[in-house]
Amino acid sequence: MQEYLNQGIKGIIKQFPAVENILDDYNIGCAPCSIGSCLLKDIIDIHNLSPGDEEVLMGRIAGVIYPGQEVTIPRMERKAVAGAGQKGYSPPMKKLVDEHVLIKRLVALIPGIIDNLDVESEPGRGVIKDSVDFIRSYADKYHHAKEEDILLKYADENLDIIKTIYEDHENGRAHVRAILKGLADRDEAAVREHLKAYQELLTEHIKKEDEILYPWLDRQLSITQIGELFSEFNRKDEECGDTPEKYEALINRLEPEYKLKEAVK
Amino acid sequence: MTAFEGCPGSKMVDFREKDTEEETAGKVKSQLAQWPIQMHLISPMAPYYQGADVLLTADCVAYAMGGFHPDYLKGKAIAIACPKLDESQDIYVEKIKSWMEDAQINTLTVLTMQVPCCAGLLQLARQAAESSTRKVPLKSIVVGIQGEILSEEWA
Ligand SMILES: [Fe+2]
Ligand SMILES: [Fe+2]
Repeated sequence: MQEYLNQGIKGIIKQFPAVENILDDYNIGCAPCSIGSCLLKDIIDIHNLSPGDEEVLMGRIAGVIYPGQEVTIPRMERKAVAGAGQKGYSPPMKKLVDEHVLIKRLVALIPGIIDNLDVESEPGRGVIKDSVDFIRSYADKYHHAKEEDILLKYADENLDIIKTIYEDHENGRAHVRAILKGLADRDEAAVREHLKAYQELLTEHIKKEDEILYPWLDRQLSITQIGELFSEFNRKDEECGDTPEKYEALINRLEPEYKLKEAVK
Repeated sequence: MTAFEGCPGSKMVDFREKDTEEETAGKVKSQLAQWPIQMHLISPMAPYYQGADVLLTADCVAYAMGGFHPDYLKGKAIAIACPKLDESQDIYVEKIKSWMEDAQINTLTVLTMQVPCCAGLLQLARQAAESSTRKVPLKSIVVGIQGEILSEEWA
C-alpha cells in the first residue's frame, strides 16, 4: 500500500477507476479537479476525515488495489491539527467566503449573457466589457490578490493544493484575455467558449476554496496568524476604497437583464 | 424531573475520585509575562497589550485547566475578571474597546467556564467589539469544571 500512498490521486483513479466512486462517497471530488496531482496520503489530511472514516475509506481503496489480499494500512500523518474541532470559518476566511458570493452572482449571469451574446453591437460588447471589468477588478484585483499576496503566503506553496489554486487563477486570466481578443476580432464563438470555460472554472474553484482550502488553512493557522490575516485583509480593503460597492451595483444592474429564470433553464 | 437546585454556577460538585495521576514530571514554567492582570487594575495601554493576542479569562478558568500556562497563556497578554461578582463592569467594556482601538490588539480570546453566568464575560467582549471602530477576530472558548474544552468558536 505504501507505494500508492505517495502517488498522485489522478493516476490512481486512472489505473483503478472504482476508486473515484469510493472518494465520491466521502464528497472528495478529485475527478473534476483541474490538476488532481494531490497524493493519496494527503487526501485524508486535506479533507479532514475522522479516524473512523479514514479507516473505512483506506480499507475500501486497498480492496480495489489489492483485491482479496490482506493489506496493512499505516495511519496517515496529519499536518493540520491545531484548532481541530473548532466550528465555522475564522473571521478572515469568512471574509473571503463572503466575497465569493458576489463572484458567484456574476458567474450565475454567464449563461444568460451567452444566450444574448452579440459582439457586433456597441451595447452587446458593453455587457461583455462590464463582465470582464468585474472579473479583473473585483474577482482578480480585489479578491484573488488577497489570496495570492496575503493568504497563500501562509501556506507551503509547494503543496499541490496551493499550486492548483494558483493555476486556476492563471487559467481564469487566460480565459479573460481570450474573451477580450474574441471581442476585438468579433469572434462570437471564441467569446462564448471562454465565457463558458470561465464559468465552469470559477464554479469549481470557489467550491474548492470554500469547502477544502479555507477549512484546511483554518485548521493549521495559529491564532496570531489569523489576527494578522484579518488586519492585512482590512488594510487591503482600505486600499481598494469603494470597489465592493461599485461592483455590487454593477451586478445589481446586470441581474434583472441576464439572470435566467430557473424554470427557463 | 430534578428539583430546582439553585444557581448552577455555585452548585457543589465533588470529583475527588478522578484519576489524579501526575502527567508532567518536574516544574511547569509560568508563562505569565506581565503584571497586573485583574481587569480593574490593568491599563489597556500597557506595552504588553500593543498588537498582542489577548486572553480575557474568567477567574476560575486557570484553576480548572491543568495546562493553562503552556496551552493557552504562552505568548499571550492576559486580563482576568469575574462577570458574576465584579463591580462596575461598564469599565471593562471601555477597556476592551481601548484594547481594540488604541492598543491595536491582534486577536481577543475569551475563556469562560461552562456555568451560565460566566457567559456574561463574552457578552462584555461582544458589546465592546460592536462599539469599536476597529474590528479584531474574537474567539470564545468554554471550559468545563474539570478543565475539558467544551467548545471553541469564533464569536
Ligand atoms: Fe481563488
Ligand atoms: Fe477565492
